[in-house]
Amino acid sequence: MSSCFLDEETFCQCCQLLLQHSHSLCDGWSWEQVKGSEEGYLRKTALGTGRTRCNLDQQGNSSDQHQERTFSLSFHNDDDDDDEDDGAVCCIQEESSSSSVVQYEYHILYSCSYQTPVLYFRASTLEGRSLCLEEVWDSVHPNYRQRLQHRPWDTITQQEHPLLGQSFFVLHPCRTEEFMMPVLKAALEEHRQVNYIVTWLSVVGPVVGLDVPLSYCTQVPEPPHTPSRSPQPPPALHSPQP
Amino acid sequence: MADDKDVLRDVWFGRIPTCFTLYQDEITEREAEPFYLLLPRMSYLTLVTDKVKKHFLKVMKAEDIEEMWFDFEGTSLKWHYPIGLLFDLHASNTALPWSITVHFKNFPERDLLHCPSNSVIEAHFMSSIKEADALKHKSQVINDMQKKDHKQLWMGLQNVVLCSSDKFDQFWAMNRKLMEYPTEEGGFRYIPFRIYLTMSDRPFIQKLFRPISPDGHTHTLGDLLKEVYPVAIPNDDESKHYQVVIHGIEPLLETPLQWLSEHLSHPDNFLHISVIPAPSD
Repeated sequence: MSSCFLDEETFCQCCQLLLQHSHSLCDGWSWEQVKGSEEGYLRKTALGTGRTRCNLDQQGNSSDQHQERTFSLSFHNDDDDDDEDDGAVCCIQEESSSSSVVQYEYHILYSCSYQTPVLYFRASTLEGRSLCLEEVWDSVHPNYRQRLQHRPWDTITQQEHPLLGQSFFVLHPCRTEEFMMPVLKAALEEHRQVNYIVTWLSVVGPVVGLDVPLSYCTQVPEPPHTPSRSPQPPPALHSPQP
Repeated sequence: MADDKDVLRDVWFGRIPTCFTLYQDEITEREAEPFYLLLPRMSYLTLVTDKVKKHFLKVMKAEDIEEMWFDFEGTSLKWHYPIGLLFDLHASNTALPWSITVHFKNFPERDLLHCPSNSVIEAHFMSSIKEADALKHKSQVINDMQKKDHKQLWMGLQNVVLCSSDKFDQFWAMNRKLMEYPTEEGGFRYIPFRIYLTMSDRPFIQKLFRPISPDGHTHTLGDLLKEVYPVAIPNDDESKHYQVVIHGIEPLLETPLQWLSEHLSHPDNFLHISVIPAPSD
């Protein structure tokens, strides 16, 4: 893999190789094809833990008198000289949340706009209530939470699934090349194989409770690539200068 | 001959007369009157309906109010789609005013995104603009802009609700940078577009498509459809089954795609194209 950008065909090939290993582990990944097209995505459901509010009813509404959805996206910059309020501050109310079993559904789709994979997911309690964004933020492991709050483009937001039209949570893809580039460059220099999807997933997955067993990195090969693909200088997908 | 700039103005100032009626099962203290509003095609439902909420709040108890959402003839309306797109997609060939039903309970969690504040709308809008620029310019133009320039785009959109020339100019002062391209290229790298379908599970089609072919031929709307959604174009001997609608009109299929992208995009810089069943009268 000589470019840190992924074309759709290579995406599909990487996914198929991942699937083969997944079948040997019986860890639940499947390929969902879009009717009447060559497009598809990887899918997996898993039980995990999350922090949920115990006083929410079936529709996710608080039975408390003073329920306030004060959550908004927070766009803090590392250089906080610009104190402009980009959006209201992110308030995660932890008082009445507790650890519980959560049903996760993960989809890995290809974004042609960014030429990268994108991780979509949804989460619900065992009673079938969808988790709200605050709960999802709350469920992110403390190790990763700081990273999410300080870098707006790594943030988790609610988006429409481009193939199903339903509400999902998404990890924003536009910083993907920042972490993929060093890995791919090193692999190229050391003549090592790298499966783009496996590498990418091992970085973004754990942020949202999806672990990638180590055997994926050793057992899943790179798809055979055509010699015509040459290294491209990556476009600068960094955040704007304040 | 209309100036191209007139097209930009006509698109910007497009309005849809709408009647908002409270859902019959909502609990009210007295009868709720319908509320009439002219909705800007360019904006988003949750950005321009504070008045609607205030109107119905007058006849309801606070504890019966949750997040407001809308439906049209049983289809829940996605606030993150521009208003004009929602109308073209769902209500094109129905009588005006557009009759929308207002809900304050039973939010359809699976189908609709939550919209707890305007920052969510801003984030969504800016995210679309960035994605469009990733396609047009490999993100170079949007990344070269400063944060205050981004703010100007957002402020411009918020002000689309005001029928003011200044606000149109304010938006376009910034947006024109996103509409430029190197002369030798002849157009953008790829055209940001989405083709919305009503007769499919899939909400839209979005693919990479160049405005100019490798041998210099200018691609048209017809070329785009033939490539990504050929069903929309009738065969010569067939009658038209579908209408291809942008901003409430059916552009000629011969229209150059680059021109459409520069003049008929929404403020988010995407061409939102509806393919709907042709009326059978």
